[in-house]
Amino acid sequence: MAGVPDDLDPVIHAPARLRVVASLAALGRGDEVAFPKLRKLLDMTAGNLSTHLRKLEDAGYVRVTKTHEGRMPATYLALTDTGRTAFADYQAALMDLLKGAQG
Amino acid sequence: MANDPTSGKPTEPEHPGDPAGLDPAEMLRMIRQQQEAARDATEPDGRVLFGAWGLAWLIGYLAMWSTARDTGSPEGWAGWVLAGCIVGAVVFTIVHSITRTSGLRGTSARVGALYGWAWFLGFTAFGVMLGAMGDAGASREVMAIAANGFACLIVGLMYIAGGLLFEELRMSAVGGWMLVTAVLAAFAGMPNTYLVMAVAGGGGFLAMVAVEQVYRTRRRSPGSAERAEGGGRGA
Repeated sequence: MAGVPDDLDPVIHAPARLRVVASLAALGRGDEVAFPKLRKLLDMTAGNLSTHLRKLEDAGYVRVTKTHEGRMPATYLALTDTGRTAFADYQAALMDLLKGAQG
Repeated sequence: MANDPTSGKPTEPEHPGDPAGLDPAEMLRMIRQQQEAARDATEPDGRVLFGAWGLAWLIGYLAMWSTARDTGSPEGWAGWVLAGCIVGAVVFTIVHSITRTSGLRGTSARVGALYGWAWFLGFTAFGVMLGAMGDAGASREVMAIAANGFACLIVGLMYIAGGLLFEELRMSAVGGWMLVTAVLAAFAGMPNTYLVMAVAGGGGFLAMVAVEQVYRTRRRSPGSAERAEGGGRGA
């Protein structure tokens, strides 16, 4: 079993990014989380998280909103509808693999 | 990429998703744990809030009942105990909710803020109405029935609404129980109306602590990933 199976989305299929996507999927639709809060939740470094977020943004899975709170710049993250669908598909694919392994 | 040079430690404490040794069960478990952690960090803990309100009602209304049983109406100090318990629970709820939901914005934050204001406005109107009833010459017994019954009515309806808003049907069930408590408290008469508030009201909240704990444990147990649909809210 080498390499990523065809039915597993390679963008999500990396432990760090899977954790990012899973966390964002736990938020309500229409909700955004501030970068520092997400970073603390995932216990990643800012640089590391930024890198993964950029990859997810490039794939259209994550929406990055840059704004200001008072005079402080703030960044908010949310899963897009595409990202939500991709995550659901990814979980379904894992489920199929699990059933295949058991059956 | 995964080997970011700014990272002071390995990017992952564990590598369940190492493509070379893919283990779907392990990855599903990791997703479940991560989503539980995300909910813990972003949503108020029902057990904690139910516990705070259960204790506040139990202690406060038991103080009212125990003094009203001797003299026919509650002592002043019992009223202050009840007020202190309620104020304490309100402050605790606000602090807990704000702490958990800080760093979030969007639909849930807006809905949550409006929901909080609805509680405030509802109980402000409640206080003004009771004052007007007292001015109009309502007896102490009528005041007690109105205060307990209306409090349960507001709590019941707000919990039902909250359950619908946040899609937590258990919360609506508590609301329904509070409406039952309103009726029981209204018919119990003095001084037992306070005992109903303590036992049915406060006890109802405390029972929910156990219910929440059961749901939480069940959600985290192995195999729950197979039961979960989509794994995320609205996914």
